Amino acid sequence: MSRSLATRIAGISDTKAWPWLLLAPSLLLVFAVIIYPTISGIDLSFRQMRLNRMDLGIGYVGLRHYLALLDDPIFWISLQNTAVWVFGTVALELACGLVIAVALDYELPGMRVMSVIILLPWFLPLVVAGNIWALMLDSRLGVINAALQGLGVIEGFKAWFADPDWALPAAILVETWHGFPFFGLLLMAGLKGIPSELYEAAAVDGAGFWHRFIHIQLPGLRMIIVATVVLRAISLMNSPELLLILTGGGPGRSTQVLSLYAFQKAYREFNFGYAGALSVVMFLLLMTCSWLYVRYSNALRED
Amino acid sequence: MNALTRRGLLASTAALAATPRLAHAAGHSGKVVYWHHFTSQEEFTGLKRVMEIFKQKFPDIALQQENIPNPEYMAKFTAAVVANTRPDVTMVAAERLPDMLAMNGLVDLTSRVNAWPNKVNYPDDRWKGSTANGKIYGVPAFTFVDWTYYRKDWFEQAGISGPPKNLEDFVTIAKKLTDPSKNRYGFGMRAGPGGAAYLIDLMEAFGSKFVVDGKNAMDKAKVLAAVKWYSELHTVHKVCPPSVTNDGFRQIMEGFKTGQTAMTWHHTGSLTEMVRFFKPGEFGTAAKPAGPAARVARLAYLFNGIMKADNIDAAWDWISFWGETDPSIAFLEETGYFPASSVIAKDARITGNPLYQAAAETLGFGTLPPAFVGMAGWSQNSVLPEFQKILVGQSTPEKATDAMLKGLDAALN
Repeated sequence: MSRSLATRIAGISDTKAWPWLLLAPSLLLVFAVIIYPTISGIDLSFRQMRLNRMDLGIGYVGLRHYLALLDDPIFWISLQNTAVWVFGTVALELACGLVIAVALDYELPGMRVMSVIILLPWFLPLVVAGNIWALMLDSRLGVINAALQGLGVIEGFKAWFADPDWALPAAILVETWHGFPFFGLLLMAGLKGIPSELYEAAAVDGAGFWHRFIHIQLPGLRMIIVATVVLRAISLMNSPELLLILTGGGPGRSTQVLSLYAFQKAYREFNFGYAGALSVVMFLLLMTCSWLYVRYSNALRED
Repeated sequence: MNALTRRGLLASTAALAATPRLAHAAGHSGKVVYWHHFTSQEEFTGLKRVMEIFKQKFPDIALQQENIPNPEYMAKFTAAVVANTRPDVTMVAAERLPDMLAMNGLVDLTSRVNAWPNKVNYPDDRWKGSTANGKIYGVPAFTFVDWTYYRKDWFEQAGISGPPKNLEDFVTIAKKLTDPSKNRYGFGMRAGPGGAAYLIDLMEAFGSKFVVDGKNAMDKAKVLAAVKWYSELHTVHKVCPPSVTNDGFRQIMEGFKTGQTAMTWHHTGSLTEMVRFFKPGEFGTAAKPAGPAARVARLAYLFNGIMKADNIDAAWDWISFWGETDPSIAFLEETGYFPASSVIAKDARITGNPLYQAAAETLGFGTLPPAFVGMAGWSQNSVLPEFQKILVGQSTPEKATDAMLKGLDAALN
């Protein structure tokens, strides 16, 4: 019995179908958790699908939602704000993460403890971090206002999130505080992977900190920087949580971003078709930007 | 052996008569998952007490409460309906009922409510918010009555005789009590999260309707007058704190409590917090001021509805339990929330408290909030941001009114 089974398996393993059979469980899983939901989401964007107006049916409406997007001023404001939100936050987080990673790369006393402390913001759930910062920046009780007033930077307590000029920058600062450890941690790991011989050779050549950073550390981190930037940009583009807590997209539409707009369309208006179209546009934007970024950053270049 | 006496016979008969009721109370079992959007410590303490009393009466029902933050409530509700991961019981705000029903998210409770002995304790208007097409989808749990909080001590210092009765008085008093140099403002306006409802109330106070027979019935001139009056409190009269567009519930409460604002609008739900914070006589409560066309204050009944019928008897036990005196009073003691039952509302702990007089007055003219399919999306995605744009100088009342009307058309079409 077992001999004949073994013989049969041996027979199949010689056929061209064998690799596909081995891959089948993984392919099924990938189909179930990635391909099907993605196709389903795209399909949704071509349907009516308003959950509180089921009398309208759920039939296909072609490109109606996509054409409506072109005429929707909130979409264009959201797109503009999304660009500022994602680029601004990623740039600041990368800069802070890089500074922290380089600083912690020095084997100084207390650096291990410091590296754990610096990671703390990342451990905090975004909802908690958002509420903490909302309180710290509060125009009545906020300690940051008190500190800035004490230092003479501002005359009176400022309502940061109520000012259309300051709401988005303030939210970017909060998100940066929460997200920079992500860059710090991965860049620190990258720095640890740079061979010490390179530093020794640079020291022999008399290279200082700056030359060491530009010619050894930065090139050594190139792949990690590209990967972290892409991952973080995707995460920022897709998550409206912090803005939902801090501003709800306001004042007016000052902090309205695409993910928040899609959320509002889906869960306040229950217009899943329109929200689906917004999500597909975000998906395409992310794919295009990531591809362009990876291509032009030469991350895949063979040295 | 004891002889059978008349008294003994009566006692035995009474005990026998009570037996089915006790058996009913203890008969249902299983797990009941309850979704709610309570926020404050007082609310959680109140819920805990209600659950403890429920446990004593229904020891075989395992009640599991799950807190869903209010801003995400409809998102979770939608996901639960679509994915069929419904809880047994959900909290239902009247303005959300049309959307919940449109998703087929609630179980029809008409026959159970009609057979419920406590139904008579609720006047007809109590059921309006949970009724659609003649069917009842929820049992009222408690009531929020809109009112004004005002700093009684400041009013006295400024020689103001009493809280404003109409909108004209309101502006006059707010201006009188504003002094930006002292970071003091006449009115703590809620123009952040949750702020749309106040503007919508004012539209009605200026005489506009919203939806009639499924069509946009807003009167542009009246809506514009309301938007203009309300926005000018900040843009012209400068009686609101600079943080106004980011001020939600927490912020208006803190503004009032920290002495930044002299008046603010909320409902009976925050009374306990105020009573605990202020010394007696420092603050008062008053019915909301009248508008040019109507005096509008909301009576918001919070209902509990059933989302799935798997364990419907036990779920019914839980939602109908809120209509009994012990849990209602326990919840009132912890939160200050009015019972929905008119019988329980006559309890001496309510009628004897002068702070509740404004609520009692409001019960006389208050109305339910407008409810139509698309209301939540329109108020949050159109009314609030367009109003905020006026406050920060990015729009005018005229443009904002046009956008709000257009937003309602989009919501209804």
